Amino acid sequence: MIVASSKQFQEIKQMLSGFKKVCVLGCGSCVTICHTGGEKQVTELAMQLRLAAKLEGRELEVIENSTLRQCEWEFIDDIKEVIKDCDAVVSIACGVGVQYMAEKFPKIRIFPGVNTTFMGGPVEQGVFWERCAGCGNCILGTTGGLCPVSRCAKSLLNGPCGGSQNGRCEVSAETPCVWHQIYDQLDTQQLLATMERIVPPKDWSTGMENHPRRMVLEHLVMKK
Amino acid sequence: MATNTTCTKSDKNMNEEAPCILACPIRQDARDYVQLIARGRFNEAFRLVRERNPLPSACGRICTHPCETKCRRNSTEAPIAIAWLKRFLGDNYSEETRKTTTEKYPEKIAVIGAGPASLAAANDLALLGYSCTIFESNPTPGGMLRMGVPTYRLPRMAIDKDVEYIKKLGVEIKYNTTLGVDITFDSLKKDGYSVIFIGVGLLESRSLNIEGVNLDGVLKGVTFLNEVNTTGRARIGRNVLVIGGGAVAMDCARTALRLKPDKVSVACLESRKEMPTTDFEIEEAVHEGVILNNSVGPKRILGKGGRVCGLETLKVKYVFDDQKRFNPAFHEGSESVIEADTIILAIGQMSNLSFLKGQEGIQVTRGGTIIANPNTLSTSVHGIYAGGDVVLGRGTMTEGMAQGKKAAIAIHNALRNASLKDAKWAEKPAVPDLASSRIPLIRKEQKQEMPAMSLDKRLSNFDEVEFGFLHNAAVREAQRCMNCGAGAIVDDNLCVGCITCVRVCPFEVPKIKRGDTTAYIDGDCQSCGLCIVECPAKAISFKTSYEDRGKDTLETIFQDKFIQGIKPLIIHFYCQYGEYYNEDTTTTAGDLLLKNVKRVGVLGLGKVDPSLYLRAFELGAHGVLVTACKDDTCHFCKEREWIERRAKYTTHLLAGLGMDTRRFKTHFVSLQDDKEIVEISFNMIEELRNLTEAQMR
Repeated sequence: MIVASSKQFQEIKQMLSGFKKVCVLGCGSCVTICHTGGEKQVTELAMQLRLAAKLEGRELEVIENSTLRQCEWEFIDDIKEVIKDCDAVVSIACGVGVQYMAEKFPKIRIFPGVNTTFMGGPVEQGVFWERCAGCGNCILGTTGGLCPVSRCAKSLLNGPCGGSQNGRCEVSAETPCVWHQIYDQLDTQQLLATMERIVPPKDWSTGMENHPRRMVLEHLVMKK
Repeated sequence: MATNTTCTKSDKNMNEEAPCILACPIRQDARDYVQLIARGRFNEAFRLVRERNPLPSACGRICTHPCETKCRRNSTEAPIAIAWLKRFLGDNYSEETRKTTTEKYPEKIAVIGAGPASLAAANDLALLGYSCTIFESNPTPGGMLRMGVPTYRLPRMAIDKDVEYIKKLGVEIKYNTTLGVDITFDSLKKDGYSVIFIGVGLLESRSLNIEGVNLDGVLKGVTFLNEVNTTGRARIGRNVLVIGGGAVAMDCARTALRLKPDKVSVACLESRKEMPTTDFEIEEAVHEGVILNNSVGPKRILGKGGRVCGLETLKVKYVFDDQKRFNPAFHEGSESVIEADTIILAIGQMSNLSFLKGQEGIQVTRGGTIIANPNTLSTSVHGIYAGGDVVLGRGTMTEGMAQGKKAAIAIHNALRNASLKDAKWAEKPAVPDLASSRIPLIRKEQKQEMPAMSLDKRLSNFDEVEFGFLHNAAVREAQRCMNCGAGAIVDDNLCVGCITCVRVCPFEVPKIKRGDTTAYIDGDCQSCGLCIVECPAKAISFKTSYEDRGKDTLETIFQDKFIQGIKPLIIHFYCQYGEYYNEDTTTTAGDLLLKNVKRVGVLGLGKVDPSLYLRAFELGAHGVLVTACKDDTCHFCKEREWIERRAKYTTHLLAGLGMDTRRFKTHFVSLQDDKEIVEISFNMIEELRNLTEAQMR
């Protein structure tokens, strides 16, 4: 899933300064699961905005709403009615949702309330780790199911660097060295020989280097 | 009690009802009034009891409480003292504002007898809008409650209090008026009564068909009890033997003890385990000095000079045969003698249906009970209904009241051609037994003891033995309740299946089964509310309206127009688990604190959302104080770590807003009535006073 972290409140407040009526809009999918963009967060952010306005002694009306997925035209159709009198919307969906909103409602200012950070998951309650870099050319089949592209600080493809110490990454001691983990995994699976194969330089053109990327499913495309 | 209309998996867990409620013949909202007591909302609790129960004070004392037998706390240590809690309400509270009906119907209804069934019927009919007259042959109301139940178990003021309320609903009671003697079915009709409800009970004691029953010194149970209950005296000898093993037998034995003979014994067919009364009553009798002779049957009563001198008994082989029918058999040649100069027969009651003379249309059974439809209580004669012991043969007080209540609805439906239904009678599945894996996760909480008169004192008078719970004990006892079937519920439309609830629940209740996309919380939920606060989709809520997680209390505080003038104003969130209740129902800490502190009590702070603390500031609080328990000793087990986390998070949010974080404080204290809280509050008031106007805004 897409993981996003809440923006600093001061930044959000600054973006919205001068507006009289704003809507905090949540998204019921990935960002709900990572506890930064769901209904609960909508309530909390709205409450903070009201309090901040009160502290500054200015008028601000904050309305709260949420939709199943902001990255779907049909799901944001109804939002039109909700935000019709608003000066601005702060969307706490991922960057995709924010853009869908901005595209759908060009006359209204849409602001991001979260920083979309990575694709990953909750490894334990409250702790999220990146697991996929969206490189467009998956190699998990040869690395024991552990991704060196997203989990190695240098995205190395041929084993660990010299900075791997006691199974930890030299960039951050909190980060396990994924190549150490890959070694252990392949050892368990008695596939250590695969480590000897040299992986040629990766074609990065399928990944972030080549955006915006596009996927078309011809069999589903309907004539307008 | 209103419940949420949340959509859930096939609405399965919305339908499940607490076993205590289902076990009650009148479907008293046991769980809900217990939960209200746990929150210190005593008046509301009493109102709730009174809504379904016309005799709360009496019922809280002598009910056989099947609710407690079914209580799910039986599987952790001991059931909640549900009946004693009702008695606590009946003793200390009353309802001033009476529910009045807008409808007034012209039909007059005659109710015969003033026992539990009749009083319940009259009460409910009056509430429905009918004018009822009760005709009672005795000079006082209560029926068998007054004639049969000893005063040390049921003081008469309890009956009077309950009946007084029924009279205030407009029910008239005509005493010393016997059906078949002073009035007849025809005279009632002539007087304009369109419906008659017969609830006369079973007034005659059964006798034994053995040699010697007519000897001097052989008494009948109900007659004996009635005599002592009305005069405080009875003629008995020095050595009393009660024959019978039921509740009336225990009452006879304990009553006889109070007349100071040398010895009181009981002889019954049943073994100790088979005796047809509650363990509690048997234990009390034995505790007071009654000697039990179990598994013996009476062969003949021995006499000397026309007076009783003993009972010859036979040893019992079995009481119930293979088909579980009452069919006692004895060992031949096992005769032995129990000496006694007085024998009281307490082997059951039977009806006296002489008033039915000339009313042969009313069908009766061979056992002498009136035949009535179990749902409508109508007899074979149109317009005549019957209920209570005269129909049941032998029933409990609540079974009698249930029949009275059912009859009231049926009478209304018949008179108005209506189809009124009492939703509480609807068949519902019970919340299943606690899962065995869950039992070790639930904290054992000791049952509160009932304060009672010491043994040496109680045998010298007929005063009530049990004193009743004081407020603090009642609240502690109520707080043991697990709120079965009324805990958290997941709204399928909102749940995103994030598994947060599954992870945070200390009792491992929420589940997302394979193939499901949403979580499911079953009746084992202990209502700690941790999942409700942590759910990112706000998909979880409590089912019942009595749990608002502090919101309503907070909003109510700010409805007071003078509140904004208080400076500094502190909102104090505290846990009701440690709260101490004075007899005047206010808290000591609450009394001591200054007007600057307004309190929001919540049963467990784990259910309070950090956004509620922000809301307090938004409404105008200058400070928010949270006092939680230091040791996690409450029902909810693992709240402290969550409260600490949320305190940190709230501070972070306030700092983000640029607010002075001294305005929000969380303290962990050992008791909520501690002097410590008062000190903490005073310090906080002082600290806030030192803040500048800008820092306080």
